[in-house]
Amino acid sequence: MLRSLTAGILLAFAGSRANVARTILSCAGIVVGVGALIIVVTAGDLGQRYATAESEANAGRAATMQVTSFSAVTDMAAYEEDIARAGAEKVSLSQMPAQSAVFRNGDETLDYVDLTAVDVSMAEIRRINILQGRWFTEADLGSQAPVLVVNQALGDIIGDSTEIQMGTDRWIDVRVVGVSQGSAFDGDWYSAYLLRSPITEEMIFGPTWDAEAGGMSPGESELGVTHVALLDPADSAAEDMDNGEEFTERLSSAKWRWSTDGRPDLMIYRADYAEQTQELIDIMSWGLIGIAAITLTTGLLGVLNVGLVTVRERRRELATYRALGASRFTLFVAVVMEAVVVAVVAGLIALLLSFALVAVAGAVIGNFVALPPDIAMVVPPSAVLVGLGSAAFVGLLAGIIPAIRALRASVVAGLRE
Amino acid sequence: MSFEAPHLLPTPVRSPASPLLRVEGLTRHFMVSGERIDVLHDCTFDVARGEVVAIIGQSGSGKSTLLNVLGLLDRPSGGSYVFDGVDTTGLREGSRSRLRGDGIGFVFQQFHLLERRTALSNVGVPMVLSGVPLLRRRARAKELLESVGLGHRLHSQPHQLSGGEQQRVALARALSRDPALILADEPTGALDAASSTMIMDQLIEQARDHDAAVVVVTHDPKVAERADRIVELVEGRTR
Repeated sequence: MLRSLTAGILLAFAGSRANVARTILSCAGIVVGVGALIIVVTAGDLGQRYATAESEANAGRAATMQVTSFSAVTDMAAYEEDIARAGAEKVSLSQMPAQSAVFRNGDETLDYVDLTAVDVSMAEIRRINILQGRWFTEADLGSQAPVLVVNQALGDIIGDSTEIQMGTDRWIDVRVVGVSQGSAFDGDWYSAYLLRSPITEEMIFGPTWDAEAGGMSPGESELGVTHVALLDPADSAAEDMDNGEEFTERLSSAKWRWSTDGRPDLMIYRADYAEQTQELIDIMSWGLIGIAAITLTTGLLGVLNVGLVTVRERRRELATYRALGASRFTLFVAVVMEAVVVAVVAGLIALLLSFALVAVAGAVIGNFVALPPDIAMVVPPSAVLVGLGSAAFVGLLAGIIPAIRALRASVVAGLRE
Repeated sequence: MSFEAPHLLPTPVRSPASPLLRVEGLTRHFMVSGERIDVLHDCTFDVARGEVVAIIGQSGSGKSTLLNVLGLLDRPSGGSYVFDGVDTTGLREGSRSRLRGDGIGFVFQQFHLLERRTALSNVGVPMVLSGVPLLRRRARAKELLESVGLGHRLHSQPHQLSGGEQQRVALARALSRDPALILADEPTGALDAASSTMIMDQLIEQARDHDAAVVVVTHDPKVAERADRIVELVEGRTR
C-alpha cells in the first residue's frame, strides 16, 4: 500500500512537471517566433527610415531628378525657369565648382574639400541636418564673402575659428554659417555646401561665365551644369527612373531660350534611391518573416498539443461548468481564450526581450554608424501590433481544435469521471 | 458544431395547481455495440414546489439516468418532461443550458468543486455564468456560505476542506441562483453519518426556505425516510 501511495505521488509530480515543461516549451516556440517577427519588423522599419534618410541626405527627397546639361547654358535664369515649367516644384544648383579651391585655417592648409555649389532651396530638396549654426538664407546672397555650410568632419577641424579662407591664385575670406551632419557616405571626407551668389558664380561656372548675360559663352562648356529638381512623386516624369525621357522632352521644348545648340546635350535621371533600397529590404524582410512564421507555426503546434491534453484532463471540470449552466458557446470561448491568453503572455515576453535586444543592438551599432538624429533605434508601434496580433492569432488557431473537442465531450460522461 | 445565438425559452404554461416538474411516459435507451439497452421505461411522476422526493432503487435501476434527464443534462428517448411550465422535450441546447443555469441546482456525490478556486469563488461560478456583477456575486456567495456554517472558510480551497464542508460548499453553490429545483445525486454517499445528517438538514431547510423542490437520489434508507415522498425505480420503471 505504501509503495502504491509513493508511486502515485511520484507519478503525480512527474505528470505535473511534464505539463509545466510542455507549456513552457510551447510558449518558447511562440516567444521565439513572435520575437523574430518583432525584430524583423523593427529592422525593416529602421532600414526603411535609414534608407530614406540616407537617400534624402545624399540625393534628395522623392522625387528628385538630377538634370545635367553638357552644352553651354546661355541663359541660366531661363533654363532654371524651364526646369520649373517642366514640373519641378523646387530647383537648386548642385554643381562642383569649375575651379577647385584650397582652404586654409590661419596658417594651416586643409586637405581637399569636396565643394558643392547650391541654392538656398537645396534644403527643401535634400534632408540637411544642421548640427550647429544654420542653413543659408536669402540674406546670404548679398554677402561679400562666399558663404559655406560645412560638414561635420570639416566643422570639427575648423572649430570656432573665424580665419577661414579659400583660394586659388589669391586667398579670400569665407563665412561659415553652419555645420551639417555627415552621412554614412561622406565619412571623414571634408565637404561643404557653397552658396551660389553673385560673387561665387564665376568660381562655380568658370571663366566661360558671362555675368552680364547671366549664362555661359556658347559652345565653351567643359564641365556641364548640374541641377537637382524636386518633382511630385506622382508626376509621370518622376516614374522614369533611368532615362528621364519625359522630363527631357518637357525641358527641351523651349530650348531656344537657353541654348544655342540645336540639340542640347542633357542627362536626366531619378536621383533619390530610397524606393530601390526599400525593395531590397522588403525582399530580405519577406525571407525573414518566412522563417519567423515557421517558428511561430511550431509554437502553434505546441500550444495546440498542450490545449488538447489539457481539455482531456479537464473533462470533469468542463462538464461541471456545463452542469452549472454554461452554454456550449461560453465553454468554447473559455477554452479558446485560455490558449489566446497563453499566446499573448508569450507575445508580451517576446516583446520585452525584443525591447532589450534592440536597446543593446542600438548601443552597439551606435558605436560604428552615426545614425541621423531623427532615426532612433526603437521598436516601432507597427512591430508591437504585428507581434501581439500574431501571438493572439496563433493562440486563437491553437485554441479552436481543443475547444471543439471540449464541446463534443459528453457532460454526463465528464461528471462520472 | 453549432451554437444558438438566442436562448429564448418558450412561454411557460403554469397554474397554481401545476407541479414544478411533471414526467410522463419517460423512456431512455442507449445503443451499445449495436445493441439497444433500455434504461428507463415509461416513468411517470411529478414533484411540487417545496416538496422533497427521494428516488431509490438498486444499482443499475436508472436513478442517475433519470436525474440526468431531470437536470437537462441528457435527453429522453421518449415521453415528456415539463419543467416549471416549459416542455423541455424539443428545446434546443442553448435554451436547455439557460433553463438549467437559471432553474436547477446540482449537488453531486463527489462534490465536483473546482480545484484551485476558493469556496467563495466556487459558489460564485453559477452567478458568473449568469452575469451577476462581482460585488453582488461576492456578497451573495458569502451570505450563502455563512448560511451553511462556512463563514470562516470563505477563502479555503477544496483540498483544504473536509468532505462534509466540501458538500456544504456544493450545496451553497447549488442555491446560489435560487433554483426552483435542487437535484442531489447521492449527496451523502461520500460522507460520514454526522456530516450526512447535517447535509440533509440543510438541504431540507434550504428547500423549505426557498420553496424549491428537492429530488434526492439515494441508496441510504435514512436519507430516503426524511423525504416527503419516495419514488422507487425498479428496472427502470417508477413505482
